Parts: sequence; C-alpha cells; structure tokens
Amino acid sequence: MLSVKGLTKTYETPEGPAHAVKGIDFEVGEGEFYTLLGPSGCGKTTTLRCIAGLEKPNDGEISIDGVIVAKPSDNLFAPTHHRNIGMVFQSYAIWPHLDVFNNVGYPLQVRKPRPPKAEINDLVMNALEQVGMADFAKRPATKISGGQQQRVALARALVRRPQLLLLDEPLSNLDAKLREQMRIELEEMVAKIAITTLYVTHDQSEALSMSDRVAVMSDGLIVQEDEPRAIYGKPVNEFVASFLGTANIINGTVAERTGDDKGVVIIDDDVGQLNVILSNGLAAGDALQIVVRPEDIHATTEQPADQSNILMGVVDLLNYQGGYAECFVHVGAIRVRCIVHQSLRAKPGDKIWLSVDPQHCVIFSGNT
Amino acid sequence: MAAIAALFSGRRGGDLGLGGILALGTAVVAALYFISAPLLTLVLSSFRGPEDMLPFEDAAVWTLGHFSEVYTNPVLYKEIIPQTFVFAFGAVTFSFIIAFTLAWLVERTDIPGRNFIFTLILFPLLVPTLMLGIAWVFMFGPNAGWINQGIRFIFGVEAGGGPFNIFSMGGLIMTQGAALVPFVFLLLTAALRSMNPSLEEASAASGASPITTFFRVTIPILRPGILAPLILAFLIAMEQFELPLIIGLPARINVFAIRIFFELSPDTDLPVYGRAAALALPFLGIGILLLLAYNHMIKRADSFVTVTGKGYRPERFKLGKWKWPSLIFVGVFLSFAAILPALVLLWTSLFGFNAPSLAALSNISFTPYIELFQEVRFYRAVGNTFVVAGGSAVIVTLIGAMLAWILVRTKMPGRSILDFISFFSIGIPSVIAGLAAMLLYLSTPIGVYGTVWVLILAYSYRFAVTTRLNRAGLMQLHKELEEASYAAGGTWLTTVRRIVLPLMGPSIMASMVLLFIIGFREFTIPLILMSEDNMVLSVILWRLFENLELSKAAAVGVLIIIFVIPIIFLMRQFLLPKTE
Repeated sequence: MLSVKGLTKTYETPEGPAHAVKGIDFEVGEGEFYTLLGPSGCGKTTTLRCIAGLEKPNDGEISIDGVIVAKPSDNLFAPTHHRNIGMVFQSYAIWPHLDVFNNVGYPLQVRKPRPPKAEINDLVMNALEQVGMADFAKRPATKISGGQQQRVALARALVRRPQLLLLDEPLSNLDAKLREQMRIELEEMVAKIAITTLYVTHDQSEALSMSDRVAVMSDGLIVQEDEPRAIYGKPVNEFVASFLGTANIINGTVAERTGDDKGVVIIDDDVGQLNVILSNGLAAGDALQIVVRPEDIHATTEQPADQSNILMGVVDLLNYQGGYAECFVHVGAIRVRCIVHQSLRAKPGDKIWLSVDPQHCVIFSGNT
Repeated sequence: MAAIAALFSGRRGGDLGLGGILALGTAVVAALYFISAPLLTLVLSSFRGPEDMLPFEDAAVWTLGHFSEVYTNPVLYKEIIPQTFVFAFGAVTFSFIIAFTLAWLVERTDIPGRNFIFTLILFPLLVPTLMLGIAWVFMFGPNAGWINQGIRFIFGVEAGGGPFNIFSMGGLIMTQGAALVPFVFLLLTAALRSMNPSLEEASAASGASPITTFFRVTIPILRPGILAPLILAFLIAMEQFELPLIIGLPARINVFAIRIFFELSPDTDLPVYGRAAALALPFLGIGILLLLAYNHMIKRADSFVTVTGKGYRPERFKLGKWKWPSLIFVGVFLSFAAILPALVLLWTSLFGFNAPSLAALSNISFTPYIELFQEVRFYRAVGNTFVVAGGSAVIVTLIGAMLAWILVRTKMPGRSILDFISFFSIGIPSVIAGLAAMLLYLSTPIGVYGTVWVLILAYSYRFAVTTRLNRAGLMQLHKELEEASYAAGGTWLTTVRRIVLPLMGPSIMASMVLLFIIGFREFTIPLILMSEDNMVLSVILWRLFENLELSKAAAVGVLIIIFVIPIIFLMRQFLLPKTE
C-alpha cells in the first residue's frame, strides 16, 4: 500500500549538509498500522513529511497505492494536495478562524468538484460523531480543549476517507492521563475503519501497544523492523534494547559452549556465571553483552535449591510501586534492576538470589 | 512609605525591601510624570487666555475662547479634517500594499539576498523622515527634480515641468506611504512568523491547492495580525509632521499637525498656545479610540497563535519565473526609498544641486563639508543629537523595564491603568508632545527651557514600545528563576541586579537601540523646542534647507547616513529576528 525505497533527505544548513534520512526502505500493507519509533532527531518526522509531500526527498522513491508520488531521480513529485492522505499534526493545526464543523468540513469543501452541501453535512457530522464531537460542531476552534482539538484533527484527517492516514506524534501535546485515554480511542477508531496508518512517535509504549509493526529509527536509518513483541523480546542491539523499556546490560566473556546453541558466560569482574543461549559464531573467549529485562529476573530472599543460573546479591534499594516493587541489587561489581512481586519483603543489605531463564537472555557479541 | 509598600503587596515570595520600593516607586512616579504632566498642562492651557499671553502668566484668565475660535472656523471642517483623513488613509493603503508584498517575499519565498533586502527596507526607519523628504524633493521636484529632468530628456521635452509633481496630495501620499513601509513591514513579518506553519500544511494535507490555502487559511488567520498594524500605522500617519511640512505645505495641504505647528509659529503674529492646545485635544481623543481598537485586535491575533509544533519552517515558495519580476519590484522600491535618496544627497553635497552629468564631475567641491566642520553650531548639534537620543533611551528603557516588572510580577492595584497610560504614549503625536513640553517648561521656573535637558525630558515619554518589549521578555522568564534567588537569600534589589536584568538583557538592549533610533531621527519636538543651544542634526538640516543652502543641507544628510551605519549593525544584532 505504502512503499518507501531508498528514501534520502538532506538539509542544507549554515554548518554544512545535515543528513536527516539516510536511505531507508519499508513497506506498509493495506490496513496495517505501522509505527516509526525513535528519539528526537532520528529522522522519523522527516520521513513522514516526505510521504505527506511537505518535504521533498533528495533521493529514493515513495509510492502510495501503487502510484509513485515522489521519485527525485525521475523528477517526479506530487504536491501534498494531490496525495490522497489524511494527516494529524503534532500541534493539531486546528484553524483558529473556523468553527469545529468547518475545520472538519474543509477537506470536502476544497474538493473539486465540490460535493453538494447536504453530502458534506452528512459526512462531517458522521466524522464528528465518530470522535464524539458532534455536540461541538458550532463551537469556535479557539474555544475547545487540547483533547478536543485532537479529536477534531482526527475527524478532519478521516473525513474524506483517505487511502493513508499519517499521524505525527499526535499524543505528545496531551497530559499523561488524557494521553492514555486518547491512545485507546485512537487505536479503536483506526482498527474499526481499518485504514492504512503510519504513526510517528518517540513513546515506546504507544508504539508497542498500537502497532502491527514497528520500525525503530536512529540517526536517519531503520535499525530494526518487526512486530512489537519481537522488537521488545529480541532487540538487535543495545540501542533498541534500552530505547524500548528498561534493560540490564551485562558484559561478559564466553567460557565454553556446552551444546548446539548453549553456553556458559563468565560475567566480567568475576561476578558469576550464567547459562545462556548463544548465537552462532560465538566461541570461548569472545566478549559479549547479555541483555535481561527487569521483569524476566526472578528474585527470592531464600537460597533456592537449584543452583543453575543463580546469582547472589545484596539489596540496595526496594522501591515499592503498588502492585509490584522495583528492586536494585548489587551483584559483585554490577548493579541489576529487577521487578519483584509486592509481597517480597527485603530491606537494604539483605541477601537476595536472582535467577533468569536462559531463554530471556538476549546476547549481543562484543562489549564496551 | 507604608502606603507604597502596601501597593506592592499581594506579591508572593520575597519582600521588596526599601531599595525595591524606592526603585519601583520612582519608576511609577517618573512614568506618570513624563506622560501626564505635559498633557495636563496642555489641557489646562487650552482653557487659558487671552491669546497674547502665556497660559500661566499672572494676568491670564480661564476662557472657552480658544475652543469657540478653533471649532467655529470652517477651515477645520473643509480642509484640515478631510485632508488629514485622505492623507493618512492614502499613505497607509499605499504602504500596506508595498509592505505586505515585501514581507511575503522576504519571509515566505526563495527570493535571493533576503538579509540584504531586509536591512535596506529598514533604511527609512533610521534616518529623519525630513532627510528623506528633502531627497525626494531633489528627485521629484516638478522643475529641477532629477527624475523629472531625466524623463523629459528621454522624451525630448525641452521646457516646462513634470511629469511628476511631488507637491501634490498624490506626491504626499506616495512619499509618506514609502516612509511608513519599514514600520508596517516589521509588524507584518512578525505576524507572518508567528503563524504556525502546520496550519497551512494541514490545508495542503486536506487536498487544498496553494492558492486555495492562501485565500482560505493564510489570509483569514493573518487578518487580525494584519489589521492591528494597520490601525497603528493609520494613527502614526495621521500625526505626521515632517513630510506635510516639506511636501504638503507648498501644495497648500493643511493637515492637523501642520496646523498646530503654525498656531505656535505663525509667520506674523505671536504664538497662540491656547488655540494650539484646543486644536490638539480631539486628536488625542481619536488616538485613544484607535489604540483601544488596536488592543482589541491584538488580543484576537494572540488567540489565533495556537500551539506551536516543533518549529518546522515551511518550505519557501519557489518563485520560479516570478523571480525577476519580484526582484524588480523590490529593486524599484529600494531605489526610491533608500538608494537614490542616499545618492542624490551625496551628489548634491559634492556637486551642487543639478542633475548628474559628466561635465559636472569636474566641479567637485568639498566646501559644504568644510564649512560645516568650521561651525561650532554643527559640532554642538552632533553632540546634542547623541546626548538627547542616548539619554532618553536610557531613561525610558529603565523606567519601562520596571513598569514591565510591576505589570508582570505584582498585583499592584491600578496596574492596568498604568499599562494603558504607558501604552497610550504611542498615541501622542510628536507635535503635541513638543507643544505640551513647551507649555509645561515655559511655565515651570526650573531653567531647563532652551537647553538639551528640555529635549531629554520631552523625548522621554515613549514607554509603550519598551514596556511591551520588556513585558514580553519577562513573561518568557519563569517566575521561579526569581524565586530561586529569594530562596537563596537574595534581596529584591540583588535579584533584579543579578538575575532579572541579565536575563532580560536582550529585550533591554532591543528597546534601548529602538529608542535611540527614534530619538536620533526625531525632528518635530526639537524644532518646536528649538533654541540656539539645543539644536540637533535634523533641525540644522531643516534650517539649511529652508535657507536654500542645498549643498550644505545635503552634506548634513550624508553625515546622518554615515552616523546611521553603525546603528544598522547594532540593530541587526539586537532587534531583528535572524532570517535563515
């Protein structure tokens, strides 16, 4: 449905060219919810703006529904208003001189030929109903709240039934509670109308909860592209691992391979040993990094009978969070963060035993 | 003291301390004095007569005579009011069309040399309008004007005048319009910049073409931001004095500022202070009304500035085949408003007043400059100009900054009145300010009349710009930055000195530079208050022009331009937004 090939965008700045997007490829299927996730400055918004036609790419090819909309090498560029898209801006961009109805009706009013008034009216009211704003149709745009502006912006983006919906950090201007609520509404709405959606965000929980697939971007490139579970569970490098959620990163060296894909790792500074699943190519003596999510570590205050994959440590701090507690543990020279059930009673200085399933240890070769 | 302290109560956090109360109290009193004392004298004077006496002489009495005389005179209704209106309306319309085109070209298109164009457009704002007026007379005088001679030469017309006659309502409107362009341009570029670019992008993403977007989104959103500057420009055009004096008067155009001036300096009789004051009052009233309308518009414009996004600048509009027509438009305006006036003055100062020709080149003469540099009066005028402009800039900026602090950070009762009075100063025409200062200091026996001090006092009433600039600067400073200083044990004065002033540095510098420029180009006030000792450059320029010492007048003009060049750099540093 949406296809991006070799997309490159370079800005001329007084300090020399800035490479915002360095040749990225991805495909979004019909009805798919696809997210570009990354820190600010990674090129995700520039990519979205190139797809919208608000920026001209320097190289590559963008096509929407099989139609090429930008291909600099052939001098092809369809301006934004010739692309059948709907877009929600980070600032919502609700026009202050129009009321809610006319903000939403605008895409239909400027269509050529202009649809009959009754039809516009029906479509607008229908869109406003979908976002729960039908009662506000006559309200001036300057008199509605941030969350309401967001809904109006969404209604405006959907009212002309575009082929592609582009969402540029639509939740980032809302406060935390409203953001949560709007995220769920947005997710349900998009799922209901099954529109192909490209979503840009720096918020990992938005990306993981809403998307069919996520592309993690860094420094103008896509670092990893996969389904949310795979991205979270099997990050390809330390950047992805730490950008999505919290991760314990443990440096070590392979001691021996004990099977086809099994091995024993000695953690640096003689902290202890861990059994892990080794990717191919790693041999005894190779340096590596082990990534373990805090919630994958099991902690007990009594020494377990089974001694495999157990590390003994000392509690530094137990942070009670309500349903769970966050526990910082000293294991030799390293500090490990783990999530424990709220029933675990421990105070700083207590001994604690940590265990981790080899399945949950993600291995990157080399360490820093 | 307790009363003043009570005025500032209601403020959370640190105590002002004695120093703070004194500083703020002085600022309030000074601001009220600089604005209200002259105006009160003006109002009182309009009721004092008879006409051959100073208003507050012992023998003077209360009278309504001035009002009946001024307002029963049909000239007021047949000439002054309609001509002032036609003049102001025409000049604003003309300047808006040019300024909007220029602002749009510089802000939104890929026209080359934007920074250079931006700077040159501001030229008329920096020099006395009188100087431009003289240059334009040299260019468009019906008989000897360069441009007229050039056109007659090209078409082989030997005798007669024309085709342009600058001494006409059309000429006055065009020249005043051009002189107003920089002011309107600055306000319009600010409006263009404050618009969130995603508002236009959202229109494109809705399927609207660029033309549709321009008319259905850009223009309506900018409308309040455009109308507000137009109201202000109208007010300023209405009270203009310089061009009506040099261009309007020979054409027998009688606008109100001129009328007031000639009540004060009639060719034959004694000055009639009361009548001038009576004539001035309704124009102050119109000024207040226009300013109220302006305030209303600005509030609406501000409500239109919605949440801004990441500050993506919109892609500049590609001019393509329109590049050359646009450059020609800009070039013609800049030649008319900046380049040719500078050249015509330079030429006239060196070669006398005749159209340029190769033959004239051999007659180069530096006599006008040599004569100027031999006159004590000239040196004194240069010194006076800088002392008066600099002194009033410092006074007004300091007071304005403190007013801004009171307005933003205290809950002092009556601060909205203070705000309005300070803002109202922008609606006081120079003619009236000069007249009011004259009446006040003629009647007060403190011996400043006729000195440079009276000029500094008279100039120091323009609190509007500096208060607004500093207020905007302060609002961006989070209150906690000050509270942190109190929490660290700083007194109010320490906090202001170590935290507030340094952080407000940019807006304070900006208002200082701006006020210096305003003072540097001032002509009307020093003309009204002129004595042998307190002449400034613009007044010297006028006297030379009036005496038809044209080369010397031109030489003064050239020297003014030379003085202005460093100011341009200061201004680029502190005043102008950086264009990328």
